[in-house]
Amino acid sequence: MLSLTDRNWSPYAAGVVIGLLQIPAFLLVDTALGASSSFVTAGGFVASLVDPAAAQIDYFAKYMTAGKYFWQSALVIGIALGAFLSATLSGSRRASFSPAWTRMTGVSSLWGRMAMGFAGGFVLLLGARIAGGCTSGHGISGMAQLAVGSTVAVVAMFAGGILTAAMFKKV
Amino acid sequence: MSLLWLIVLGLAMGVVFGAALEKSRVMEPGVLVGQFQFRNFTMLKMFLAATITGLVALAVLNGVFGVALHPKAFAVGPVLIGGLILGVGIALAGACPGTALAQAGAGYRDAWAIIAGGIGGAIFYGYAKGPIDAALGWGDFGKITFADVFAVPFWALALIFAAVLAAFLVVLERFVPSKDDLAQAETMLGDPACSDGGARPAPAE
Repeated sequence: MLSLTDRNWSPYAAGVVIGLLQIPAFLLVDTALGASSSFVTAGGFVASLVDPAAAQIDYFAKYMTAGKYFWQSALVIGIALGAFLSATLSGSRRASFSPAWTRMTGVSSLWGRMAMGFAGGFVLLLGARIAGGCTSGHGISGMAQLAVGSTVAVVAMFAGGILTAAMFKKV
Repeated sequence: MSLLWLIVLGLAMGVVFGAALEKSRVMEPGVLVGQFQFRNFTMLKMFLAATITGLVALAVLNGVFGVALHPKAFAVGPVLIGGLILGVGIALAGACPGTALAQAGAGYRDAWAIIAGGIGGAIFYGYAKGPIDAALGWGDFGKITFADVFAVPFWALALIFAAVLAAFLVVLERFVPSKDDLAQAETMLGDPACSDGGARPAPAE
């Protein structure tokens, strides 16, 4: 049986667990698993702090009112909580940033890595919102529904990722 | 369904999701980028296992119980260009939108910068949606699935596709054993005791 105190689960076991989450998503929330919409919900509320008109922009308004986006926001907060519990209960809490970054890109300070991460996060969500979904929504959920657009999106994601990672050192 | 119930449900599902991302090491930047460098296949294995499970689950839910599907539209411009940009972002961030949260939960502090950048990217798109859509919004084929294209029942094609992907995973595992992927991932966790950069190899266990 899978336990939170295990150090590892096989990628297959983890994949099956995540795939099974589609059942409550479709039956109880009438939607598919996804993650990137929650960044629009958060973005809408953050933008409202400095621009009271932000909530009147249709795109933000949609993500700040519908129940399923609050469900998804809770889902991504739960992801952080689940990873925290999993790492803590198995003695594999991480610190600072992954040493893989130093090996791949030479970045050696947390601030340098955070600047790269901020830029990466910006590009990540810009791409996800243009495409209308991320690795979860287009990837895991779109392909499980045989969606043509999601399959094309996944191929494009891999192309963009492979081209960019080719500029990093292999470790 | 009440909002409170939706939030409790989301949190509970997220905890399971996050644990699976941490345990499989798929949220490790070195593992995720490693897939793009073809030196670690954890991400593809987890991704396809989740897809196969979803295909079978939805074949039953849709085929037997008539539960409605929610495929996203196939708009060539947005999906192609957006997907490419998203891929560049995954490599630079070392994370997807979901795994960034898992990294933060597991303790990586740079993940908070990824999340902040992501919220910034979402805000930017919200304000610039008009011109971006005008430039990229071409070739919209609507919410089509391969079951529509081939005019076959969804459940049948879903089960066939699931079987093909499962066969592929069996072959992949023969060539790239998961224990090797995992062993490589273990060298990338850093030293939890150090908080000054973590930029050193993990201590031998």
